[in-house]
Amino acid sequence: MNHHASDLNRRTFLARSGLGVGSAALMNLIGSEAAASSVSNYRGLAALPHFAPRVKRVIFLCMAGGPSHLESFDYKPELARISGRPMPESFTKGQPIAQLQGQELRAQGPLTRFRPHGESGQMISDFFPHTAKIADEICIVRSMVTEQINHDPAHTFMNTGTAISGRPSMGAWATYGLGSEGADLPGFVVMTSVGGRNPQPIASRQWSAGFLPSRFQGVEFNSAGDPVHYVGNPRGISAANQRELVDVVQRLDSHRNQKINNPEIDARIAAYEMAFRMQASVPKLVDVSDEPQHILDLYGARPGDGSFASNCLLARRLAQRGVRFIHLYHRGWDHHGDLVKHMHTCTRHTDQATSALITDLKQQGMLDDTLVIWGGEFGRTPMFQGKGGIGRDHHIKGFSMWLAGGGIRPGMTYGSTDELGYHAVENIVHVRDLHATMLHQLGLDHNRFSVKYQGLDMRLTGVEPARVVQGILANDVSVG
Amino acid sequence: MTYPLSTHVVGEARLLLLAIFLVILVSSLAPHAAYAADQDVRPVPVDFNRDIRPLLSENCISCHGPDSAHREADLRLDQEQAAKGDRKGHPIVVAGDSAASELIARIESAEEPMPPVESGKSLNASQKKLLRRWIDEGAVWSKPWTYVKPSRHPIPDAEPSSWPINWIDQFVLQRLNQEQLAPSADADRVTLLRRLHFDLIGLPPTPAEVRDFLSDESPDAYEKVVDRLLSSTHFGERMAIYWLDLVRFADTVGYHGDQPHNIWPYRDYVIHAFASNKPFDQFTREQLAGDLLPDASIDQQIASGYNRLLQTSHEGGVQLKEYRVIYLADRVRNVSQVWMGATLGCAQCHDHKYDPLSTEEFYALGAFFADVDDEAHIRGVKGANLNALPSPRPPEIETHGFYQRQRLAELQEAINKLDSQVDQERLEQLQAERDRLQQAKGRTMVSVAMTPREVRVLPRGNWLDESGPVVTPRVPAAFGEVRLEPDSRATRLDLANWLTDPQGAGGFTARVMANRFWYLLFGDGIARVLDDFGGQGEPPTHPELLDNLAVEFLESGWDVKHLIKLLVMSHTYRQSSIVSDELRVKDPENRLFARQARYRLPAEAVRDALLEISGLLEKEIGGPSVRPYQPPGLYRHLNFPVRKYEPQTGKQQYRRALYMHWQRQFLHPVLKAFDAPSREECTAQRPRSNTPLAALVLLNDPSFLAAARELASSTLEIANSEDNPSSLIDQMFLRAVSRPADAREHQILTDLLQSQLDYYEQNPKSAEALLEQKRAWPQLAAWTAVARAVLNLSESVSRN
Repeated sequence: MNHHASDLNRRTFLARSGLGVGSAALMNLIGSEAAASSVSNYRGLAALPHFAPRVKRVIFLCMAGGPSHLESFDYKPELARISGRPMPESFTKGQPIAQLQGQELRAQGPLTRFRPHGESGQMISDFFPHTAKIADEICIVRSMVTEQINHDPAHTFMNTGTAISGRPSMGAWATYGLGSEGADLPGFVVMTSVGGRNPQPIASRQWSAGFLPSRFQGVEFNSAGDPVHYVGNPRGISAANQRELVDVVQRLDSHRNQKINNPEIDARIAAYEMAFRMQASVPKLVDVSDEPQHILDLYGARPGDGSFASNCLLARRLAQRGVRFIHLYHRGWDHHGDLVKHMHTCTRHTDQATSALITDLKQQGMLDDTLVIWGGEFGRTPMFQGKGGIGRDHHIKGFSMWLAGGGIRPGMTYGSTDELGYHAVENIVHVRDLHATMLHQLGLDHNRFSVKYQGLDMRLTGVEPARVVQGILANDVSVG
Repeated sequence: MTYPLSTHVVGEARLLLLAIFLVILVSSLAPHAAYAADQDVRPVPVDFNRDIRPLLSENCISCHGPDSAHREADLRLDQEQAAKGDRKGHPIVVAGDSAASELIARIESAEEPMPPVESGKSLNASQKKLLRRWIDEGAVWSKPWTYVKPSRHPIPDAEPSSWPINWIDQFVLQRLNQEQLAPSADADRVTLLRRLHFDLIGLPPTPAEVRDFLSDESPDAYEKVVDRLLSSTHFGERMAIYWLDLVRFADTVGYHGDQPHNIWPYRDYVIHAFASNKPFDQFTREQLAGDLLPDASIDQQIASGYNRLLQTSHEGGVQLKEYRVIYLADRVRNVSQVWMGATLGCAQCHDHKYDPLSTEEFYALGAFFADVDDEAHIRGVKGANLNALPSPRPPEIETHGFYQRQRLAELQEAINKLDSQVDQERLEQLQAERDRLQQAKGRTMVSVAMTPREVRVLPRGNWLDESGPVVTPRVPAAFGEVRLEPDSRATRLDLANWLTDPQGAGGFTARVMANRFWYLLFGDGIARVLDDFGGQGEPPTHPELLDNLAVEFLESGWDVKHLIKLLVMSHTYRQSSIVSDELRVKDPENRLFARQARYRLPAEAVRDALLEISGLLEKEIGGPSVRPYQPPGLYRHLNFPVRKYEPQTGKQQYRRALYMHWQRQFLHPVLKAFDAPSREECTAQRPRSNTPLAALVLLNDPSFLAAARELASSTLEIANSEDNPSSLIDQMFLRAVSRPADAREHQILTDLLQSQLDYYEQNPKSAEALLEQKRAWPQLAAWTAVARAVLNLSESVSRN
């Protein structure tokens, strides 16, 4: 290839991206034939991170459906006291409401007991005995708010900062900005577990690259069949056959490229190389037979079962191999009715593995440079809903999540809702504040991390002000 | 654009060094392109719209612009009067005197620089110099080009005068003259033929078509190809692929359960509209308001399905009032992006920060659609299950698609002509097909007008706040106004007429579309941001050319084929896409069009090309969407109800990709890997990526494996005794890339053939598995490997 050309393009790219990631940088990535960097070792935008990062990667444990904060991390004795009585109108008047539209609103007390756990004494419900064991490792945020009250848009909001389709999800942003550290795996991996109750659908929009180049989209790992679509060789084709074929294609492409001198073809040759390497590395990654039994037992994982436990173990393996953003979905948290029964089902599938992941990361020395986030797309109403047994409706004005790992103050509870768990009232954390904080831990300033699209400076945190939640950050050193 | 450097590197020595390095680079590069690298020696005076407006827009307008709620210092820099006003003795801009202009003082200020450090924006030295020069040259202000109606400009002279074939070339060449650059040489004839085929019908030429063209020495050989392709129904398919991206056509509802909905006849309407060269104004009217046309025909009703293409939801607990707003906003975004080249979306919550578009105008534009009857699925459809597949979305009509009706008419005619005595068998065949087709009637969503819903301006987009004023249908003032009888309410038909009326927004619409046709044929727009002609888009590189194309389109009576023929007949179009060293340095992004573009084919064309090369492609036009093979479990995250995907068998699975079932939430991996959009929102420009996932698809997708087998077996079948491996390789090459293989390619593929032959001879079971047949045929298996290599070539899926 013409080195002069690639040097120029690299130079142009650097200049264009500046330190604020301008439009030209994006156009350079998607529009022109100048491949700024080869696919297999994309290390992010030259000017990033903005400052020394505190963590290298994020593992986001999405409890899809909207787990009840009132039965997990937000202890509300006052709600228990007025349980069964009409919900005071001062709380509910003029507020958005989902399935309870037009119905009488009655307070519903907590359906389980809370106890203090660990040295920190954090209040955690009996539904989460394993999470209770890591009470001193996690930072509970009780004052989350979001803007979308239905599942699909609420997930889109949680992942992209807006309910409008077509925007990049946070994993795509992180990978676009920082690249991946592994040479033979994608930088953004998504896994959705099987098991549990009738799940809410989840759309691939949730891990979309939006207007960013598609190589930053989340790659979904499947629990059955090929772990990644088309990663297996077709029948009758051995690994050696495939290697030879890829070699031949690369040789023919590069031979042709001597005539036409197109840098995009070099990028393509690299993409074929990475594809072939993925064919070897992905099956190795998902084959956990090299894990000792006590680790499998810690998670409660049975290899190949597609469970949340197995996915948590895979998340740790992905983290070890340099994947930047690992997004796990476990569905089934949408408890309009029969909440107690369904909470048991959900926590049975997730609680032990969640706790194991934190424990395992810590013993591997990786918790310190990993940010783990646990939570759903919203919480649930303090009001009763009775869709087959006692349950709760969607709720967006106050709910709980927790964070753990590098740079997060462990063993603390941040923010609070009012006495009935309706409105977040103290230290309110909006979804975009969560995004700003996550980016901050990755060494990115959410205000400056923007991309020009449709004439606008697009940010994960959008146009409204967002803040880094300093109150949950530990003031210690960053990773080197 | 570049960004402030010093603000980003505080306390970071390593980054600081990098920043210094970048400053040096940045100051040597112009804001938009290297060809304009040295602003100081630019021979032409500073042009406000080209040079200054983008600087102001990028750095100043978000705080000193149209958004009244967030305006700082009561200063507007988007209006000449305001910028040149006295401001108590501190005028911002004093024409002819940069030293007296506050603007210059502030951008040079060390203490209180503009733009402020915390804004994350900054001007570099050459940009500041440019602003000074502009003021000193008289601070000429011009109206934003977006809101100036296109007019015909004189065609410039350019050297050499022998180069231009039509007037397009004179504009392009004149600009090259200015930059002292020469156009590229003509592309070779094979490349030209392939380019025309991919651009106009989305398919590669057959070896016979290549032979015919190469042997046609008549002066109009090229034009004959153009005419042949433009008259092909496949032209309609090619253009439909682009249009369906714009209007976000898909087979499923998009939100939550993502159930299929009934809409495919709309797709066939679009194909036919382009194939039959329906004037674009009529095309616009029928889609936005087909139902409002007098005696609306079936096709006009089908076309009005445009208003129903948006994503919809019947997720449990959706709030009617909230979704009314979501749907209104979706329609405003789409109509403004598709026809007006404006991004109005942000005005849902606040006045546009860069363009003169207010929140009130957002809702007023939405009010045009307040009569579209589409709430049944939120209120519940009586007696129907919304989670059915497909999900009912009344109002719908039951109908055949255009091409079904055409086929039915053909069949009937053939049946009528047949003598039943003689051709009993044939008659029964035709009757059976006719009867089958009669049954295949589908439903499709249409627009039906009802009493318009009340539309209010929602403060900060909050649908719970009903304190805003009620608005009636009105277009944004910057674009003009819809003239009406007094006391009447403007309708969708008024909107459609206004969008295509030369006295209304017709010129704007024509310019938006002319730019997109250019993009389809040259790889990039003359104005690069295809759906934002506003302050934050990029001004056109050749404004006069773009204007003239718009006027040409308008005055031709919105004749799409006329415009496209004009573009492909130009010399500019026929240039080589190989980048000279000089152009690579001076114009890396090809803003001057001194060469053609080269890029990997769009997703649909990748699939269609490989199937066509192999001979598997089934070219039937229109009909219900089809389900080719896809990886099992792709829809496992869908629910309400859970989905089982049954791939079709036989020829139907090899239909062209634009007929593939378009599942918004889980797009087919072949489409997705090659950057087809989910069609949740308007897509005017697809990215062109180059990823390992795409490589995996081309290598391992069963459809492409079948294509390789078919290419191998059909090549072997027609081989005669004189053929040797070398000539067979040539035949494969001719089919795939329209040329024979060269010596090195022969050698590489012959080696591959030999080693694969050895392998499959020793592993007959593998040969059986690869060929999916009980007979191990090592020869065919090895040739299948060769065919895989040929199909995986970059050249096979590239447009050069």
